[in-house]
Formats: sequence, structure tokens, C-alpha cells
Amino acid sequence: MAAGALEPHVDEIIRTDLPRTFPDNIYFNHASASEDDDAYQQQLYRVLAAYAYHNPRVGYCQGLNYVAGLLLLVTHSEDTSFWLLKVLVENKLPDYYSPTMDGVITDMEVLSELVKEKMPDIHSHLNSVGLPWTVITTKWFMCLFAEVLPTETALRIWDCLFYEGSKILFRVGLSLIGRHKQDILRCDDFASVVQLFKDMTQDSFALHCHDFMQNVFRIPGTLKRSHIERLRSRISEEHRKAKEAKASESKTPL
Amino acid sequence: MGTRDDEYDYLFKVVLIGDSGVGKSNLLSRFTRNEFNLESKSTIGVEFATRSIQVDGKTIKAQIWDTAGQERYRAITSAYYRGAVGALLVYDIAKHLTYENVERWLRELRDHADQNIVIMLVGNKSDLRHLRAVPTDEAKTFAERNSLSFIETSALDSTNVETAFQNILTEIYRIVSQKQIRDPPEGDLIRPQNVEPIDVKPTVNSDSVRKQCCQ
Repeated sequence: MAAGALEPHVDEIIRTDLPRTFPDNIYFNHASASEDDDAYQQQLYRVLAAYAYHNPRVGYCQGLNYVAGLLLLVTHSEDTSFWLLKVLVENKLPDYYSPTMDGVITDMEVLSELVKEKMPDIHSHLNSVGLPWTVITTKWFMCLFAEVLPTETALRIWDCLFYEGSKILFRVGLSLIGRHKQDILRCDDFASVVQLFKDMTQDSFALHCHDFMQNVFRIPGTLKRSHIERLRSRISEEHRKAKEAKASESKTPL
Repeated sequence: MGTRDDEYDYLFKVVLIGDSGVGKSNLLSRFTRNEFNLESKSTIGVEFATRSIQVDGKTIKAQIWDTAGQERYRAITSAYYRGAVGALLVYDIAKHLTYENVERWLRELRDHADQNIVIMLVGNKSDLRHLRAVPTDEAKTFAERNSLSFIETSALDSTNVETAFQNILTEIYRIVSQKQIRDPPEGDLIRPQNVEPIDVKPTVNSDSVRKQCCQ
């Protein structure tokens, strides 16, 4: 596909990320791959480059390498991966991967609000230890839990994502936090919280995908789509105003 | 290494910035865990690690934030510049474009970081001698002109990694300890000033106040 027309810096960053996508996976690993398997990195290049060319407004955003990489591993098809990637980026997760990343920034804050509503003690504890929220959640949302949770679990989440939309991401986030509530409250500095959040994505709760998915629909309780939409529009409106204020501030001469 | 993690005289927040693929994550892992990974993964968002070192008999704990290099991620990562007292601005000596972008990263720091942040320009991958695209002298001159310290490192073969961090932390320590003599800190600096979720703690403290903010 017309990769020759891709802007050089987009092409460059995609190529930088190819060997850095699932390097532990035998299909993607350069060293352990046979000639045939090495084609996976090439396939990944073609899917990402084709999409960047197809949608120049998004171009390429780091994180999409993991998303497209997992799609390729599952579908074994460049075409199918391309179209599924397009559905995710344009329909399921609008503005997550765009240059301003407004969608994902809003959703990380929506998750924080939901934690505040449902688990106020956790929310205030995380604030009191000074945890920068985006340290935990950027990868969750950008990689859609690929390269975060065990692959099988991530794929079960993706089934819901394709089927029912992005609400599942909040359910998963809330469940991980809710499940480990006591452990979180025991951490008294944010370094240990960060470590705990890493460990909790690899424990047996996260590994057993059937139980995990059942818990995901149980632990957070009711979660209305309309409520999420309300939070999204409130937060994105706040962001828009803050941006405007900042822009007019920087225009004012000193 | 060498000291207990929760005992320190100073806590300094340092950020690692620079283009994607220049080796920021490997510099961090080389310094904090003495590890290098040829098959490293793209950093999505922000990662962090700590290590304590000794300067003048004081224990300095460096809290180092490693950030995604792609430009659009600055919408997220620039929040981490706040409260940072040091920045390692990394480029790849074998990729000239990553050096050309140093100016843009400096602007980014000017816009979002504290005015007095100590900046060190780091030319990484010095092991790639045969592929060198950025002459040492050129980068050195640029650093001098912009009042940055400068060093070339290789996270792969460990060259200068220790020295780079040691130098910047010592430089910060000198500034902070002199400032303390002139201007002793007041009260409890560590208590978060507000409850905004992405706020980070002020980073220069004595160890005794650490537990106070926990419930």
C-alpha cells in the first residue's frame, strides 16, 4: 500500500517501534523468528503505515503498535487487522490517538471521577500519596490493556470493546482497583502504589480470564453509559475552557 | 543501591526526555538496575524508577521519570515536568534528527518546567562509533551556548551512565544545599498543595516528613 507517500517522520517512528512491539513474542521477536516469522514485523509495518496514510489526521500514535500487533497475532491477516484497527480508532475510541489525545486524556479523568464516586477512600488515598494518575492509566487506555494484562484476558476485554464499546475499559479499571482496594490502602508512598498496580495486572485474578470477566461485570456495580457520557462532556468542556484560558494568557503581552 | 530505599536526605525529581527510540528507558534501567535490554519495548505514557546515591556523605534519592518520546504524548508527559529539579535531554548520536529536535525539547522545558531546572544534554549510544552522525564538538558547543552540561553515554556498554546521573544529581545538590543555607525551608513541603490527581509532590525534602501525608 502506498507507503512511499508517508511523511518521513511518521515512517521513521513506526519503524522505530517495530522491534519494540511484543519483543518477547516468538512471532515478533527478531532473534528467534525464522525467515517466515520475521514477516510479522513487516506485516505490522504495512498495517500501521497503511493506516497512517489512510487517516493522516491520526497518522501514527505510539500504542497503536501494540493494538495492531495483537490484532495481527489473532487474525493472521493484514487486511482484517487494518479494518479492525480503523474501527477501534475511529468508532470505538474517538480522539484517543489523535494529535491532541483529547479523548484519552478525558477518559483517564473520567475513570478517576468514577473511582471517586464508587471508592472515595481509594481516591483520597491515591491523592494523599501523591500518585500521578496518568502513570497508572495511560497504558491501560492507550494499549487497551494489551501489554498490560495477560493476552487472553486482554482479548476477552477486546471482545466486549468491539461488541459494546469503550465502557468496558472503565469496568476493567474499576475492577482492578476495587479488587485490590485493601492492598492499595496499605501502600504509604506512590512508588509502592505504582509497583502494586504493575503486579496486580499479572496475578491470578488477572490471569483467569473467565473469572476475571465475570468479576468485571460484578465488582464495579451499575455503570450507566449515560453517566459516562455526562462525565465525558463535563470534563472535556473543562479542558476546552482551560485550554482557551491558557491560550489567551499566552497572547497577553508581559 | 547500598542504602535503604526509605532513608534519604534529599529527594530529587529528574525527568528523562528526548525523541522516541534514543534510549531513555535503557539509560534509566542501566542506572537504577544495571540492566540493558536490546529488545526493549516502546514506553507508553510515563514510567518511573528510583535509586539513591551518596554525595558529600548525604544520601540523595533520585526519582527518575521516563517519558514517551512521541510529540503528541507531551499533552500527558509535560505535567511531569512540574516539580522536576533536573532533566536529562537525550538524543541518539547516530540519528541527527534526534539532535536537531533538542531545541524543541528545550522550548518544551521552558514552557512547562521550573525556571531553575538543571538540564544535561546527553548524547546516547556512543557505542555506535561507526554510525556517528552528531560530532561530539558540535553538541558540546551547542550545550555551552545554552548553558547545559553535556555528556555522551552508552546504556549498552555502560559508558558514562553512572557519571551522567552522578553529575546532574551533584549539581542539583550543590544548588539546593547552597539555597538552603541562604534560605532555610519552611514547614512541611511535602504535603500536596491540592488534590488534582496528576499533581506530584515537591521533591526536595528531608526524610523526616515523609510519613505525614499518609492516612
